[in-house]
Amino acid sequence: MSPQVYDVLIIGSGASGGMAAYTLTKKGVKCLMLEAGPAVDLQRNRGLKPVYELPYRGFGKPGRHPHIVQANEFNANQWADEAEHPYTHDPDEPYNWVRVRMVGGKSLFWARMSFRLSDYEFKAKDHDGFGENWPISHADLAPYYDRAETIFRVSGRKEGLPQLPDGVFVEDNSPDSEATLRIARAGKPHGITVTKIRRALGNGQLASSFNLLLPEALETGNLTIVPNAVVREITVDRNTGLVNGAHFVDRKTRREFHAKARAVVLGASCLESTRILLNSKIANSSGVLGHYLHDQFYIPNSVVAIVPEARNGKGGRRLVGGAGYIPRFRNLNGKEKNFIRGYAFDFHTGSTPDAKFFPCWGEELQKELRSASGAGFSATAMGEVLPRYENYVTIDKTKVDAWGIPVLKFKCRYTDNEFNMAKDAVETLAEVCKSAGFEVISRTEKMLPPGYSIHELGTCRMGDNPKTSVLNKWNQSHDIKNLFVVDGSSFVTGGSQNPTLTILALSMRASEYLAEQLRKREF
Amino acid sequence: MRRRRFFKAIAAAPAATALAAQQAPRAASPGAASQAPAFPGMGASAQLPKLEISVADDAAQPLPRFFNAAQFSTLRRLSEILMPAMDGLPGAIEAGAPEFLDFLIGASPADRQELYKKGLDLLNAQAKKQFGKAFSEVDGTQAAALLAPLREPWTPDPPADPLARFLRAAKQDVRTATLNSREYATASAASGGRRASAVGLYWYPLD
Repeated sequence: MSPQVYDVLIIGSGASGGMAAYTLTKKGVKCLMLEAGPAVDLQRNRGLKPVYELPYRGFGKPGRHPHIVQANEFNANQWADEAEHPYTHDPDEPYNWVRVRMVGGKSLFWARMSFRLSDYEFKAKDHDGFGENWPISHADLAPYYDRAETIFRVSGRKEGLPQLPDGVFVEDNSPDSEATLRIARAGKPHGITVTKIRRALGNGQLASSFNLLLPEALETGNLTIVPNAVVREITVDRNTGLVNGAHFVDRKTRREFHAKARAVVLGASCLESTRILLNSKIANSSGVLGHYLHDQFYIPNSVVAIVPEARNGKGGRRLVGGAGYIPRFRNLNGKEKNFIRGYAFDFHTGSTPDAKFFPCWGEELQKELRSASGAGFSATAMGEVLPRYENYVTIDKTKVDAWGIPVLKFKCRYTDNEFNMAKDAVETLAEVCKSAGFEVISRTEKMLPPGYSIHELGTCRMGDNPKTSVLNKWNQSHDIKNLFVVDGSSFVTGGSQNPTLTILALSMRASEYLAEQLRKREF
Repeated sequence: MRRRRFFKAIAAAPAATALAAQQAPRAASPGAASQAPAFPGMGASAQLPKLEISVADDAAQPLPRFFNAAQFSTLRRLSEILMPAMDGLPGAIEAGAPEFLDFLIGASPADRQELYKKGLDLLNAQAKKQFGKAFSEVDGTQAAALLAPLREPWTPDPPADPLARFLRAAKQDVRTATLNSREYATASAASGGRRASAVGLYWYPLD
């Protein structure tokens, strides 16, 4: 039996792998996609259920997902199970590594927030001297952002803000509620601007690799998807030094396979891609593979308030309701605070604050909740985490996963820059809420452990210097020219914006470059 | 607990569809045998039966077995105070919240078990010290004095005091166990109300 040699082996089927497949197959490139998890049938694998039918009344099986704050009894089966997919960290430095393993990956579950990075991020070092610039600018990525926004149908309102570049939007012309306008007015003296959220509409139900990228790639006839293929390592041709495929193990049978290809694209998610490279012992002449791990710290319910005029059912759509976004406003013109970079908020009005925020119980609590019903305001603070060499992942040689593959060990902690930023964020927003006439009932600057935002970035960063970066400006390994890494691991800095749109644009750009390299038979 | 009957379409949508798909005939050539029955004598469109079934807590009493008798009676009284029946809707007792929490906490990691056991013991001891009676026998005014830690504003870090920490956890858990019960959903639906979070998109275990 003579195994097929594909043009490109794509590892991972989420946003980055899906976009690579979409882009490459449309250019006639024959691709094999390996996905570590199963194929899912969204009709069969999920369904509506009343919470009382769940055996744990919605609490979930105790202890099943110790690191996944987002897990509940409805979604417990969608997350990768830590018993099969372990990882390690020191007890005093927890990391919440949240993973999904199925065709479509995390793009089946993301919040769809779709923001561009600006040159405040791409050229961050020019602004404050910290870290490194990206080897590309917003102008380099803009044409790919345009196309990714079109495919994913991103809704938004053009604002003309340099720190949050506008895109190709499905125009959101809905009026802002009075509560949102009050936040905007009260925030103005602080330099705050309030925008519409920018959200991928997709087909309405779903905005995922699963429905927007993979079907069109399959239609070309150039894509083969193999689920349940857990990649053990990428293989190298000893004669050429180029990668030539990957060893993988079948998730269910544990049978071993090898797939061959002229080039390899890693899009297995930030830390899984890095883990595969570390286990393969390749692409690390710089010594920085695994380093500069960062994400965004998220503080849900950083400020919780009540819009007094909306109490006792007097709200209504004109007064409260809907979501808004406060993009970064700190340190845009030099260092203004005791931290560098900045933070953003997304907020919602018209909800009911959780019972825990009311210091009472019984009938009194019920009365409070009735009064506050639909009158709530809450905001999630989202702050940039500095990419530091000292925050990293490495292979833990003492532990393997269910397939015998060595796991990652995390060494990651936030620093004063993040803590000072969080303090400023909460103090500022609480003040804005009070100025807007809201009753602030709770505020907190306490962060959850790193990883909680599910926006892990870095560890395989791009750059012009092969001694300080793993990839070049085309997401191509400095060391091995037919190896590309197209997911969030390639980020140099992450800003406070949700990263998926940038991942999509980067993957599209890298894949077009790769297709051209293949056409020229560069490898 | 009130006995009820209800219909559950166990063979409904997901499972039935999958089974039917597996058993559907494969046509040797387009159109040729596409109408062949799945089984001799059974038409391709035959319906699979939907069985009427019940669930254990409709048919039997749950047996509390994690907390000791004193702890459980303390939990019952605490649940009743935290989440009484109101506005024609069941409270924690009617919703079987104490029995459910006995099960849930019994299945929980050791630190959660310790939080509850110690918290219930402390609450009971405090009742005896202050009022000379078990917590299960205190009246509303006495209970309010004992639950004073719940008057403190919410903080992201749990309180250092073990009783305060327990009370905060119990307030949330008793409420959730009540609101997410079948009893509450049934009564709420009957009164025309509807809890938005009562129905969710459930992911079945993946193969």
